[in-house]
Amino acid sequence: MIPTALRRAALGLCVTAAPLGAAAHQLVVFASVEDCTDVVVEAKFSNGNVAQKGEVRVLGEDRDVLSTLMLEENGTARVGLDSIDHSAGLLIEVDTGGHDNYWILTPDDIAGKCGS
Amino acid sequence: MKSVTARLAFVAVTGLVGTGALAQDGPRVVAVNYPIQYFAERLLGDAGEVIFPVPTDVDPSFWRPGISDISLVQGADLILLNGAGFATWVDRVSLPRSRTVTTGAAIEDQLIVTESITHSHGDGGEHSHEGVASYTWLDPTLASLQANAIAEALTARGLAEDGDVADRLAVLQSELAALDDTTRAALSPLQGAAIIATHPRYHYLERRYGLSMTSLEWDAGAMPTQDELAELSEAVTETGAQILIWEAAPPAEAMEAVAAFGLQSVVFPPLAHAPEDGTMLEALNVSVAALAAAARGAGN
Repeated sequence: MIPTALRRAALGLCVTAAPLGAAAHQLVVFASVEDCTDVVVEAKFSNGNVAQKGEVRVLGEDRDVLSTLMLEENGTARVGLDSIDHSAGLLIEVDTGGHDNYWILTPDDIAGKCGS
Repeated sequence: MKSVTARLAFVAVTGLVGTGALAQDGPRVVAVNYPIQYFAERLLGDAGEVIFPVPTDVDPSFWRPGISDISLVQGADLILLNGAGFATWVDRVSLPRSRTVTTGAAIEDQLIVTESITHSHGDGGEHSHEGVASYTWLDPTLASLQANAIAEALTARGLAEDGDVADRLAVLQSELAALDDTTRAALSPLQGAAIIATHPRYHYLERRYGLSMTSLEWDAGAMPTQDELAELSEAVTETGAQILIWEAAPPAEAMEAVAAFGLQSVVFPPLAHAPEDGTMLEALNVSVAALAAAARGAGN
């Protein structure tokens, strides 16, 4: 499970940092591995509002699309690690139509949540 | 060019990591822009390698790295950020906190808040210059503080000998102080005079030396469109500017076009990437001299 404090810290950092080089209401994307079973994607706008709709694309190192799904109303999406080849890491893109952003999970990011 | 070499080295190392064949003698440091790379190289000497991984044709502020790029960054002994919102990618990846240093942390109270301007060009997608001006190194006094932060980061982690780093820092900071003195003297005739810049890069230069700049949003090194030339014409009428600063050399016809508005062109690379020739300090001295010469030509 993703430590709540870590998740909040990451999203909080992004929201805080967003005005430093980005447009108002920028989309902020964060992804992490939970219990070595799922990639949990979270999307918020830099004003703190949850992104309730949006397409989530999970891509590999060569930017090949491994999975596509939609955000839930709470601004999250969940992808099973078993369902995708994550050996070379994952690029998570979220597109709400008017805004888009990404988060990169390296192989070490993933392995670090899988006890290795 | 040095950054091309660094990029090739970076790619080569990326390939080696996957095979477990990486052989590394000294520490490896990653920098988010050329000035940080330059300072770190000066301070580290031959003790290690400093990598600036952004391709030369990509704006380092808006570089979108690949997964393997970030794997290499995460594996570095030290990751040097600029701060001031420079390099959006650093907020889209996990960086090891203990090995990541924001070189501009000590100058946060001196950062310049800018207006909100959202636009797009090239392959970088829509982006904005809202928030904080990020080209901090164009004020040599701020650059000197960033160099100091790099020196502290290197020695605190034992990546180089304390005495060596201190000696190199003293030399580097004296050179930055000399650049500051030279620039102040050279640009003093321009204090308060209106200048137009083709992109909002020069806030710290403007503040440090009492300049008065109006910024456009032109693509670096490109021929301006008719609409952009019309915008420039309006800016000249409003400000009375006689000097136009380009961040990269445009086509000759571009300079001819702006000369029709009574503008003298000055190419002043802001140096997020390495200059075509020479070092950061050499390139800045050349740009300052060109600006001073334009001031004399403009009768300021």
